[in-house]
Amino acid sequence: MQDSDSSGECDSGGTTLLECKGIGKSFPGVRALGGVNLSLDKGQVLSLIGENGAGKSTLMKILAGVQPPDEGEILLDGNPVEIESTRAALDLGISLIHQELNLATNLSVGANVFLGREPLRGGLIDESTIRKESARFLEMVGLDVSPDTLVGDLTIGRQQMVEIAKALSVNARVLIMDEPTSSLSQAEAENLFVVIKDLRARGVSVIYISHRLGEVKELSDHVTVMRDGENAGELSRDEVTHEAMVRLMVGRDLSEYYERKDREKGDLALEVKKLRTPVHPQHELNFSVASGEIVAVAGLVGAGRTEMLETLFGVTPALGGSIQVSGTELELDSPISAIAAGIALAPEDRKQQGLVIDMTVRENLSLAALKRDQKKAGFLDFSKEKRISDEMIKAMRVKTPNEDQVIRFLSGGNQQKVVLGKWLAMKPKVLLLDEPTRGIDVGAKSEIYALMEELAESGVAILYVSSEMEEVLGMADRALVMHEGRITGELTREELTEENVMQLATGGEKTAA
Amino acid sequence: MNVKILGIVKILGITLLLVTLWMILAFLVPEGFLNGNNMFNLFLRTAMYGVLGIGVAFVIITSGIDLSIGSIVCLSGVLLSLFLSVSYHPGDGEKVFAIDPQQQLIVLADETEGFKSGDLLRYYGSTQARSAVVTLSKVASTKIPDEAGELTASASLLQVEGLDGNTSTARDGVVAKLYPIKRVDPEKGTVLITGKHEGLAARDQIRFINPSGGMEQIVVAGTELIDGNTQVSVDGDTGALGEGWLAMPLLRDQAMPVPVALLSVLGIALLLGVVHGLLVTKIHLQPFVVTLCGLLLYRGISRWLVNDRDTGYGNEYESSLSLLTNGKFELFTLGEPYGTYSIPYAFFIFIFVAILAAVFLNKTIYGRYMLALGRNVEAARFSGINTDRMTIIGYVICTVMGALGGLFFLNYSDSIAPSSHGNFFELYAIAAAVLGGCSLRGGEGSILGVVIGTALMVTLKMFINLMKISDTLEFAIIGVVILVGVVADELLKKAVARRQASKS
Repeated sequence: MQDSDSSGECDSGGTTLLECKGIGKSFPGVRALGGVNLSLDKGQVLSLIGENGAGKSTLMKILAGVQPPDEGEILLDGNPVEIESTRAALDLGISLIHQELNLATNLSVGANVFLGREPLRGGLIDESTIRKESARFLEMVGLDVSPDTLVGDLTIGRQQMVEIAKALSVNARVLIMDEPTSSLSQAEAENLFVVIKDLRARGVSVIYISHRLGEVKELSDHVTVMRDGENAGELSRDEVTHEAMVRLMVGRDLSEYYERKDREKGDLALEVKKLRTPVHPQHELNFSVASGEIVAVAGLVGAGRTEMLETLFGVTPALGGSIQVSGTELELDSPISAIAAGIALAPEDRKQQGLVIDMTVRENLSLAALKRDQKKAGFLDFSKEKRISDEMIKAMRVKTPNEDQVIRFLSGGNQQKVVLGKWLAMKPKVLLLDEPTRGIDVGAKSEIYALMEELAESGVAILYVSSEMEEVLGMADRALVMHEGRITGELTREELTEENVMQLATGGEKTAA
Repeated sequence: MNVKILGIVKILGITLLLVTLWMILAFLVPEGFLNGNNMFNLFLRTAMYGVLGIGVAFVIITSGIDLSIGSIVCLSGVLLSLFLSVSYHPGDGEKVFAIDPQQQLIVLADETEGFKSGDLLRYYGSTQARSAVVTLSKVASTKIPDEAGELTASASLLQVEGLDGNTSTARDGVVAKLYPIKRVDPEKGTVLITGKHEGLAARDQIRFINPSGGMEQIVVAGTELIDGNTQVSVDGDTGALGEGWLAMPLLRDQAMPVPVALLSVLGIALLLGVVHGLLVTKIHLQPFVVTLCGLLLYRGISRWLVNDRDTGYGNEYESSLSLLTNGKFELFTLGEPYGTYSIPYAFFIFIFVAILAAVFLNKTIYGRYMLALGRNVEAARFSGINTDRMTIIGYVICTVMGALGGLFFLNYSDSIAPSSHGNFFELYAIAAAVLGGCSLRGGEGSILGVVIGTALMVTLKMFINLMKISDTLEFAIIGVVILVGVVADELLKKAVARRQASKS
């Protein structure tokens, strides 16, 4: 059945469970949602996609009872409902699982599942019922841990399973999952997909929000696309292609998503010999990156990639081995010395490590350059600061009302641009990127890829860690693959295939090209 | 831009509150509030508490806290009073080993050549025997026990006339020579005493003794040698003196020169600040715990140093060091009951410090570093900022300001009691900083806000006094004001944040 108009109607004969009709929501000065329609069937996996700022979170918050809509109605099983609070949403069977999980890491799995509704016996918490009941739901999600396990001891992937079990234990009929795989390894993500398919079979519906279009394609029965607070289009299962999704999200053709070109390599910018990081001191790392090269570092979560970058940047100084930048041997005992040597790092945790989230765009852009640009006796050079700020906002196309906007209010993509802008102002020789496009929408992603290409063109050596296979395959001239703290192999452009990456990432060997 | 506006609104808010309180006081108790003396006090107290507030503001900006400020004020005061303690001793005084009134003998603790037959001597300072004026008839040598108890140490034996035979024997005291007055000139304010007293100078003192009874102690202003005698010009009334009186010159002994004392105390404060900072940054202790221990430790040391007794240097430095605090810059005078209006020198020092602090915080890279690391120390570190060093600097600024405050507060009172001096000062300082816009979460602060916040705290206290509100309510009222101020701040922030979120 063809269906690509904007009416949001369901495309198969399944019974409609949840319907949103003409939902509108405004905040002072901005219309976040303008007459949005959504339709979810029983036992359906519906993906909701769109650029940052498209209105996905706002819509989901309305469904989860966090805030009320200004206009429109919500129908559950054909009956209009008012979702006035999160409690009300839960009672209606709508459960929202946040990107940052809402678990008490200091309590057990069972305690978390029954948090807030502990069964009592004689006024005291009934531990044995908790244990028995939670075990039931843990089984449903295929999580093989005892209910007494401390949540803090579980991996993120398994913690997520606990959240799902918790939702099921309150009879969730609609599970809303917001960027669920952003902190998961490939294996854990695969497991999640299995669980989602299983839930679907049981008649639980899932609204899946993600920027990872590959996953969306694999999982969805139906895709609803939003843009600028309105419906942008619908795609049924067979219509879902990468291009179709991007075109609806962005409203135009994004040709050549990955702009990789072949480049002239320059001299060696970064040479690493027998490097031992504090986290994996038993392995010695050896590799090099030439100026103008883009090298990816692939691997599973926990492979030690972030640790390696942090050692190269002096955050966790090396225990042994040598690092050379442009031929000069360095003692990197702190970020200060790394920066002085021409190394820059855009860290994995953008909000916690990359930016001072409550300072303005201008203040963040100039932060690393303050020492270099200071006037005598340590006085700030406000004019130089403004110049850097203006330049970077323009060059990176940061979307911000002005330079004095507090960064907290920018979208993830624009925040990342500011992080990169801060380092570009330092004119680094080696740029280390840790998950540079995590949690960023399609439009901003392609801008960052274009930027990487531009920088490589101008001679910067780029080493980037990525957990997105597409990104690794799309942007890298060469790839290093890590597994449990060591580099299991290097792949040239020709050898760069998904199989080879996965083999090396799981400790195996690459197959000849 | 909204961030700046928020800051301005906050400052306007507390300024408005301050001015309102002033107007209420001016209207209801004009004579009590607006008189010259009270205004002077307003400026003075704002200056004294204000420097503490500025110090703690820097620590709060680095998202730390310093609870030891009050104890540092106390310790600085005690140290200064010790370092600058003054005592007066006769230039030729000798310690006494024993006296035997029946035999009219005085045994000194050492050998001396200074006393000659015929000299007039004064025996005093004993806890066991009365003071006496005696004439020396003979000097001889004798042996007294040394440290080991062996009779090997040489000492002078004085045979005197005039010791009261009924006085008890004693084993302590001092003997010093007396010099008869030759002439007194009350109009010129000079006294001519026998002997060449070359060591005598201004600020020394002379104890004048009337053999028939009576004593006067007068401060020396200057000396002049005339024909082998010394003419002393004095500060004070010489009317009671007459011929036949005897003079005992007392040389002034100051433990340390003023600049040395000041630098030492500031140096000690600096050291303590470094220790605080190191414990917080390198050992990763909580600032609350570190400075709480400081609070207890520094006060304990203060009390131990002076045996828990009141201490101070009185008015010894009235015309020098004390001026830094109490010196007046006179403006104008109104009729009674308002009096003279003046601004204390301490206030000028305070404003100077505030300007330096504001420039440091807002116009230098170091201030920017502190603001950044206060918000997010990890991100600051990842941007190449030496967060440990900047944090330590924050704690050092705080303790050094504490020492400056200590100087002010010591000058303010004749003496201080180490068990209670400076109690709760850290709370006033923190309250002023918080009212002035410093968030305890770190990364935010305005020096102007701290200045106004301090003035507000001082005014509140004045309000309670002048409006005859019970003292017991003082803390309660201050607590409520701070709470209201902070709540208003949060509400304002949320409102601004909502507007900003909707814009992007």
